[in-house]
Amino acid sequence: MTDMAYDARPADEATGPRRSVWTGKVLRWLLTLLPGIAFLVFWQWAAGRLIKEIYVSKPTAVALRLYELFASGEIYPHLWTTGEELVLGYVIGVSGGVIGGYALGRSPRLARIFEPYVMAFYGVPKIALAPLFIIWFGIGIGSKVALASIMVFFLVFYNVFTGVRSVDRELVNLTLVMGANQRQLTYHVFLPASAPFVMLGMRMAIPYSVIGVIVGEFTSSTQGLGLFIHEASANYDPAGVFAGIVILLGFVTIAGALAGRLERRLLRWQKPSGVGPSDI
Amino acid sequence: MSDSLLVFDGIGQDFPTPGRRAMVRVLDGISFDIDRGKFVAVIGPSGCGKSTLLQMAAGLLAPTRGAVRHHGRNVTSVNTEVGFVPQQAQLFPWKTLQENVELPLLLRGVPTAERRERVAAALKSVGLDGFESHYPSQLSGGMQKRGSIARTLVYRPDIILMDEPFGALDAQTRMVMQSDLQTLSIEAGATIVFVTHDITEAVLLADNVVVLSQRPSRLLANIPIDLPRPRNMFEPFRNAGFEAAYDAVWTEFRSQIDTGRVH
Repeated sequence: MTDMAYDARPADEATGPRRSVWTGKVLRWLLTLLPGIAFLVFWQWAAGRLIKEIYVSKPTAVALRLYELFASGEIYPHLWTTGEELVLGYVIGVSGGVIGGYALGRSPRLARIFEPYVMAFYGVPKIALAPLFIIWFGIGIGSKVALASIMVFFLVFYNVFTGVRSVDRELVNLTLVMGANQRQLTYHVFLPASAPFVMLGMRMAIPYSVIGVIVGEFTSSTQGLGLFIHEASANYDPAGVFAGIVILLGFVTIAGALAGRLERRLLRWQKPSGVGPSDI
Repeated sequence: MSDSLLVFDGIGQDFPTPGRRAMVRVLDGISFDIDRGKFVAVIGPSGCGKSTLLQMAAGLLAPTRGAVRHHGRNVTSVNTEVGFVPQQAQLFPWKTLQENVELPLLLRGVPTAERRERVAAALKSVGLDGFESHYPSQLSGGMQKRGSIARTLVYRPDIILMDEPFGALDAQTRMVMQSDLQTLSIEAGATIVFVTHDITEAVLLADNVVVLSQRPSRLLANIPIDLPRPRNMFEPFRNAGFEAAYDAVWTEFRSQIDTGRVH
């Protein structure tokens, strides 16, 4: 054998001294946190000095407000409603996007007929539909789920559609010659080949589902974080507004981390370029 | 009706030209046979439709005129009795080497125990044992090519169609691969159709060299190569009779290389 293997497993790194690895990890975390901490410190200092506190509140006040909200249990109904809307909207939107994108990606005939329509609706600012959705689906969670799912749908749809269409024709032919039927072709070639696109769409869709839900709740609702933020702002309660935003931030961060973990697991076959931990 | 394993019978192929209504004639009445256990190389200038012939044999493309017969039956749909080794290795990047080589057996419903055994044997025969759990991105170009060949050998296809399989490899790897392919094909008694544009490669590997002309291509010659085996792939000129064989192919081929034209 004259060939060389490029082994991507960082086998040697793991066998190095444990402590230096840990120190490096902690150091990296600190470096990441530093700008955030600096910002919070500046905010705390500037509130009441540079800008009136009534406009921007301050981190300690926000933290206190958050504590109160959770301690009194006042926030839980809002949290529950918004969480439900987010999950439902996201799941419906992603499922629809994957199924639609996959179907149109696999069938050039379907794509020729429906692509112009999808393209046209893609251009419509979905936020503009919020009042209409309230009329159609009521002020309950239905309208928010609809708004979130339609925003998520288009994103995922386009990613999956592009992904399926970009599958190498030669690879497909090769698999057919190997003896695959259509179902096997889907399972062994089209699904894994489009997985990176599906994952990208799913990750990008997370903030969009939040936007959809919050805009829906802003427009009209009886419960939810959007309503809570809206009311806090109407009552000149900036600490309440920021507390709501911090909770949303938490939502997005946790969902993003989960999606990232799923992505790394499903796509571990990809070249380790950019996904692996980079050294300082 | 001949008793050959694979027969190209008066193959003609027209392709539409982009932007114009006229068709371009690519292949014009190509006929040749491949006997069982033979290694046939097809050479011709670029764009002459060599690869198109392979696609027809695999049933991925229907010829405009004429027919491909395999076992005496016309090939009209995807031909799963052949194996196809493309120019790029085309391993599935999301499957490990083991899973890649296993796939054809899985698709064909071979039981697990037998699958494992045959995959191990195929990987060993191309010298890739020990790399089962590597993903293709972790293998070099030459190793990917070996994997691609193992994935074809593993289901013991009737005929192996190879489309310039070593074109993208560096010179050294290429010689090693040619030598290994010779060994493998002799051991397996495989029937191979090998498309290339390299005369030396064709002469060294093949029992017969089919020479195609420029577009619209016709069959110029079907030249038997009677060099004794095993042949020395590393020093072509050391094979007794190599010069004469090369000359016979080159005489036919030279008329097709005209330096003034851009292909």
